[in-house]
Amino acid sequence: MTIKHHPSDTTLAAFAGGQLDPGSSAVVSSHLASCQTCQRWVTTLEDVGGVLLADLPATPMVPGSLTNTMGRLNVPLESDGPARAFAAAEDAAWLPEALRPYKLGPWRWLAPGVYQRKVDVPSGGGSRVFLLKAAPGTRLPVHIHTGVERTQVLAGAFTHDGGRFGAGDFDDAEGDVEHRPSIDPGEECICLVAMTGDIKMTGPIGRVIQPLLRL
Amino acid sequence: MRTVQIQTENGACPPLVMQPRLGSAARKRFAGKALQIAMSVERKPNPSTMDASGLIEAIAQRKDQKAFTVLFEHFAPRVKTFMVRSGATSSQAEELAQETLLMVWRKANLFDPARAGPSAWIFTIARNLRIDGLRRAGRETNAIANMDESGEDSEQPDVVCISTERDGRIRSAIALLSEDQRRVVQLSFVEDKAHPEIARELNIPLGTVKSRIRLAMKRLREVLDGQS
Repeated sequence: MTIKHHPSDTTLAAFAGGQLDPGSSAVVSSHLASCQTCQRWVTTLEDVGGVLLADLPATPMVPGSLTNTMGRLNVPLESDGPARAFAAAEDAAWLPEALRPYKLGPWRWLAPGVYQRKVDVPSGGGSRVFLLKAAPGTRLPVHIHTGVERTQVLAGAFTHDGGRFGAGDFDDAEGDVEHRPSIDPGEECICLVAMTGDIKMTGPIGRVIQPLLRL
Repeated sequence: MRTVQIQTENGACPPLVMQPRLGSAARKRFAGKALQIAMSVERKPNPSTMDASGLIEAIAQRKDQKAFTVLFEHFAPRVKTFMVRSGATSSQAEELAQETLLMVWRKANLFDPARAGPSAWIFTIARNLRIDGLRRAGRETNAIANMDESGEDSEQPDVVCISTERDGRIRSAIALLSEDQRRVVQLSFVEDKAHPEIARELNIPLGTVKSRIRLAMKRLREVLDGQS
């Protein structure tokens, strides 16, 4: 796949620095899994973090800290259970690894041809995360973002004023962007979305489905 | 473990001459390329330096507790500072620093020196524990309770300089950033400040924070991207 749209530099910096909420992080991770260019850059940014860490002044550890830690070296981890298996086999083909730790809700009807599936990320003031599946040729309602919406295309493609977004592409929509995406013909489009702030639906259908979008 | 003697210059922070450790295919290309890395931070004369990658590998291969001790003594106090600056209380920072080093012990076999430098690897462990630990504990209250960083000790009694070719390259790239750009990168990577918090702290508009980060990233990309 040819990836044309990547997370912005500020998004990648926030990811490498650990600033993103877990939901947005999972969406960026799913992009990194399919994009070596961004993966390589994030690794370099982690090197930057390593140097900044190595150059910090020391804060003395409490007396007995080392001994205490040594005493815990061979205590096995309590909660490092096996990664959860995805429920249905047919999911595994396109579900990103980054979602493995999280529970997925059932697909729910949202609008004609549009389904949504909640990703249960304990976010703590972060984003709402969901999978969105839309039939080929669907036009999604006009909507305005008030926060940041980060979307990784897992299958199929959609197009809006920002360009065409195919599998592997990342749509980094920040601030008051008004979008009316339409799904390309031929293939169902599946996206992983993390949303902070609100989304305002401005069309007649949007006003109806808006309450359903509140996850 | 291979230690490398450093050349001391006037008792000030000495440039390190580091002989990268051999033995893995990934590092063979560095063979014989002695490196001179001028440390940007002033330090007391160092008795020795160490090869942090080698120490992590010693843990992976033979559960080497001596190697762990050296790593702990160097990194735990820095991870503690990292946590304090991220808004942890002193006792949380102590706990998270211990946890980070425990994780280094447990995950040593996953360390791949071809992919990440030792400091970068430890940074990612500390960063992830910070996300899990601090956010869960409710960082807002802690951030306010912990503005005081007086617990930090600028004396570094038993400091062991760690350096690799990779870190040297990164360090010179960071040095190319403007003071303002360096500050926003520092705030975001080390002090766990989101962009609006950085704007408040530096008393500049949010847009300026974003453009500084963008410019810093652009600069770093020009120097570093595609070289690894």
